[in-house]
Amino acid sequence: MATPWPMQKRLQNELLHLQRDPPVGISVNPNSASSTLTLWSVNVVGAPGSLYAGEHFQLQFTFGKRYPFESPEVIFIGGNIPVHPHVYSNGHICLSILTEDWSPALSVQAVCLSIVSMLSSCTEKKRPPDNTFYVKTCSKSPKKTKWWYHDDKV
Amino acid sequence: MEENQIQSDALGGTDQEIEELTGMARDEAIIAQQERIQNEIKENNPLVSQTYPINVLCEEYLDDPVYKAKIDDLSMQYSHIRKTRGDGNCFFRAFGFAYLERLLTDKKELSRFKAAAEISKDQLVSLGFPSFTITDFHETFMEVIQQVEKQPVLDELVDTFRDQGISDYIVVYLRLLTSGQLQKEAEFYKNFIEGERTVKEFCRREVEPMARESDHIHIIALTSALGVGVRVVYLDRGDGGKVIPHDFPEGCSPQVILLYRPGHYDVLYPLKGS
Repeated sequence: MATPWPMQKRLQNELLHLQRDPPVGISVNPNSASSTLTLWSVNVVGAPGSLYAGEHFQLQFTFGKRYPFESPEVIFIGGNIPVHPHVYSNGHICLSILTEDWSPALSVQAVCLSIVSMLSSCTEKKRPPDNTFYVKTCSKSPKKTKWWYHDDKV
Repeated sequence: MEENQIQSDALGGTDQEIEELTGMARDEAIIAQQERIQNEIKENNPLVSQTYPINVLCEEYLDDPVYKAKIDDLSMQYSHIRKTRGDGNCFFRAFGFAYLERLLTDKKELSRFKAAAEISKDQLVSLGFPSFTITDFHETFMEVIQQVEKQPVLDELVDTFRDQGISDYIVVYLRLLTSGQLQKEAEFYKNFIEGERTVKEFCRREVEPMARESDHIHIIALTSALGVGVRVVYLDRGDGGKVIPHDFPEGCSPQVILLYRPGHYDVLYPLKGS
């Protein structure tokens, strides 16, 4: 009944869907996805009218075998890491759906939309107050951080 | 703030050891401890157990007269219990198992339920759930119902529910149905949600993620989504010396009976002839 890699079937579906019918400001380069689909990069553009309007960002998704039961690891990569109170300068993102509020019904697309919306609601471009300390001491994977989600609205 | 070196020997340490750490080392230690506790639970408990006589519960409450008296009371009406793993999904897993077990011998209810389950995906899509994420869960859910139809064998059902790769799909789909019902009847359910949260936020945080524990509101929503009555028998430290049953919805003739102990649900089986 269950295939050995149900995660690949699911990711295949998601990739197809995102290529065919991408939401505004989000695009995936299918060549960027590794052959086993465990690593993707997705391009995101800041929404019009937001502080990040027209800026291009790149998100890297890493999927484990337990996806979609476990959340993907998602970080900003490349030359432009958004300056935002929930984004560390090493690309790590403090967003509850990436760890404890993750649900198997969420998707790459849902994560990208949440991140764009997180950027859109920002009123002042600044780094998290503990950026220096965090970046110096954090683990390579943001999933190893026990995040405190103080304020969803920023 | 002081800088900390990673103290790998402290990973998965005791509460006190964790207290003494800060920053990232502390985070990793907490996460490692949580994983270790989860692994211990996994090793010692199958997702659904065999059935045990009710008095097996006494072993968990030695020297506890309140629970002893209530377990005696429970055994007046119920003969057996089937335990589920305490992984935060126990309500959905216990409910799913007990209901499908009933369908093994109730063809009429099975065909009603199969038809309702078949169209449930489209109903979720119409509520805004993306088809491409819920398809896999719906497909597996339907495959399990078909298995019950074609091969109504209890041992097969137990194996299915012990296979995490299938069992968790069933749990997810039941969570989605619960979330769908809450959102469909949001006007009604919003009255039962504490704090400032909307029904949608509540679903996103307390219903759809795995391992979030179930409250009355989850039970009411799921039972009305499926049209399946549930009796929950409460075994706790409350006064009175008797276990207290509560039917969802009130006045139904329950098709599933669950035992609730604070934080956990198991399946109950009535005494034959009662």
